[in-house]
Amino acid sequence: MSNSVPFNLDPPGTYIYDGPASTRGYKLTKFGLSLRNPENRKTFLADEAGYMTEFGLSEDEIAMVRARDWTGLIKAGGHLQSMLKVAATVGENLWHIGAHNAGMSAEELQALCPRKVTALPGGDD
Amino acid sequence: MSRVIGGFGISHTPSMGMEYDKGMAQGFDPRWQKWFDGTRRLKQWLDETKPDKMVIVYNDHLNHFDFDAYPTIAIGVAPEFRQADEGWGPRPFPSLVGDVDLGWYMTNKLVRGGYDLTVCQDLAIDHGIYSWLPYVMDTPWDTPIVPIAINMVRHPIPTSERLHGLGKAIRAALEDDGSNDRIAVVSTGGMSHQISGARFGIANETLDEWFLSKIGNDFSELIDLPQEELMRLGGTEAAELALWFSMRGALSDNISEVYRYYTFPAITGCGVIVFDDHAV
Repeated sequence: MSNSVPFNLDPPGTYIYDGPASTRGYKLTKFGLSLRNPENRKTFLADEAGYMTEFGLSEDEIAMVRARDWTGLIKAGGHLQSMLKVAATVGENLWHIGAHNAGMSAEELQALCPRKVTALPGGDD
Repeated sequence: MSRVIGGFGISHTPSMGMEYDKGMAQGFDPRWQKWFDGTRRLKQWLDETKPDKMVIVYNDHLNHFDFDAYPTIAIGVAPEFRQADEGWGPRPFPSLVGDVDLGWYMTNKLVRGGYDLTVCQDLAIDHGIYSWLPYVMDTPWDTPIVPIAINMVRHPIPTSERLHGLGKAIRAALEDDGSNDRIAVVSTGGMSHQISGARFGIANETLDEWFLSKIGNDFSELIDLPQEELMRLGGTEAAELALWFSMRGALSDNISEVYRYYTFPAITGCGVIVFDDHAV
């Protein structure tokens, strides 16, 4: 468990959400956003894999959702705000996603946050 | 002409809203009590100045729009704006009151003035507005608003200069609208935060407080800063600070700072800054 926070925008510290990510994760993001609707949340919970198949997700994508592999889903182009709706539907939250991304437990991450850094533009990082 | 009487910049986060609901029911968590206390002065300012209308520049978080069509800049023109279901159900708050006449008026002015807005006649609004509004305004929320939504969820996002220019265009439109309304212009965006990747939870209070110290009179230094620098030092979502330039652009050079407060409760830097505008 490390609290070092690098001052760069490179993976695995950061995944910039851009056009290619949006194309890569179009179906994943669309699936997650469908869970803004309470009826869809019920349908999904009743049969996760079946619901995702309807959205045209690949076997790998379905497996990642089933495994709550939040890091893999973000790398696959699932937008964080969309994956957050998946997490909320299955009883998890932003801390679980962040902890998976940071390689620690949600409790450990909560204990570390806020992960204070000090730097200004033009200063020494 | 309408008059821009002032404006404010304020952070938003989902937890800010949830903690408000918990706090009012059973007392605030100490970290959020600070934010509640820190927003009293803004509530007082709104109670005293009583703006007739508010123009609010914010960002949606894939709660109304989706990637079938995600507008870079959009305006809400409707009699009311419902609360979005963000995946965990709506909170117990009313819809926001819109202003159709001002909305269409501003649409005309802004589009003909070079800002090609997507016009939304149905717009559900998420924590971008619903998280902080309960702290600073009692219900019923009867002050009409014109919401302007800026893409902050997928790069490319609009440049800082462009967002500042949007604020200037908002002011120019309001000054020419043929009414005598007193209007507050608001920008809302999270300060330092990053909510994905291994840098999740980065908290640069120094950066945020520096930003607050500059947004009044030294804002050009902030606008000249590459947005990537804000993201690198304050987290990817610190790019939302660029939204604050619209509020600043809508104010004149003749402003005075009413109040400023900053705290970092959990994942997102929470700041507020309020200005009176003395230009007539």
